[in-house]
Amino acid sequence: MPSDYDKGAYPEPPRQTPAVDKQTALPNPALILSKVFYYTVDLPVTTFRDAVDSIRSNNKMVYYHQKFRRVPDLTECQEGDYVCYYEAEMQWRRDYKVDQEIVKVVQERMRSCQQREGASYQQNCTKEIQQFQEVTKNFQLRYGDLGAYANGKKCLMKQKERMMAAQAQSA
Amino acid sequence: MVGMSVLRSAAAFAARLSPLKSGNTAASLLTRTIPRADKVAVRWGHGKKMFVIKPTDFYDRRFLRLLQFYILLTGIPVAILVTGINIFIGEAELTEIPEGYDPEHWEYYKHPITRWIARNMYDSPVKDYEKMMAAIQIEKEKADMRLTQLEVRRHMRQTGDGPWFQVPTLDKELIDNSPKSSPDN
Repeated sequence: MPSDYDKGAYPEPPRQTPAVDKQTALPNPALILSKVFYYTVDLPVTTFRDAVDSIRSNNKMVYYHQKFRRVPDLTECQEGDYVCYYEAEMQWRRDYKVDQEIVKVVQERMRSCQQREGASYQQNCTKEIQQFQEVTKNFQLRYGDLGAYANGKKCLMKQKERMMAAQAQSA
Repeated sequence: MVGMSVLRSAAAFAARLSPLKSGNTAASLLTRTIPRADKVAVRWGHGKKMFVIKPTDFYDRRFLRLLQFYILLTGIPVAILVTGINIFIGEAELTEIPEGYDPEHWEYYKHPITRWIARNMYDSPVKDYEKMMAAIQIEKEKADMRLTQLEVRRHMRQTGDGPWFQVPTLDKELIDNSPKSSPDN
């Protein structure tokens, strides 16, 4: 089951609901509906989940996050050393995937900030928005138009083009 | 007047046709009260039996029945199995790798069925990597050997001192020169 987001990393702003000040004797329909929802939906679902967890806790399994060693890059390989090319290519692909996930995380941060702030997001979320723009700009520069058949060599050539353009511009 | 007598004779004829039906005597056929259709108790329960003529749907229904049967034949056991695994075994939790411990390759997956497949059916990713590198190494060595072979061929053809471009001829010592030393024999 998907877990809730990390509340320590993205703290919610303090609640600003005023204290309950009942001025009528009529029952509060919102309170009634919330209690009905709790007893009909929330409580059965929570008890079922607790029951399933207690069954599962006998044989609990764990999984780990794999760490790969760094290998020499494409620029550090001898010419004609195809094994070195392969290892560099695999490392580049892993880095490409990691970069995609980084962009997704930053995007998710910006979206959750916008959702929390509501109508005043442009004013309150400047850090997240600026970080997102920087990260996406860099991602586009590095991996932008490589396409579906991207590989390490094409990315290196793109970097070479960027450096040549920068040199031509500065000269 | 004449009509009345025709009716009376018709009633007598009807009575003679089905004399056993109650109320069908000649006297009562003309004089019995006709029930009004709007005041009689109408029961919609059975209704009028109709013989509906439509093209056969036997083959269609048989196909759907068999389809349902063969899909559910393996579908229901698979559904029970997967539900049981998800409830009783459950997914794994993400933890840090403990110090000095080298996890097996299947311990990097979350779902129990994926772990089982990775453990029993697939090779570990490390082994796949090494297999790929071995294939690349073999191909590289083959390519290098072919290039050196071409190089050696070129050299031997040019300088002529290698064994490849030398045609074996007979030994000079074997030639019998005795008939050649005295002419006009």
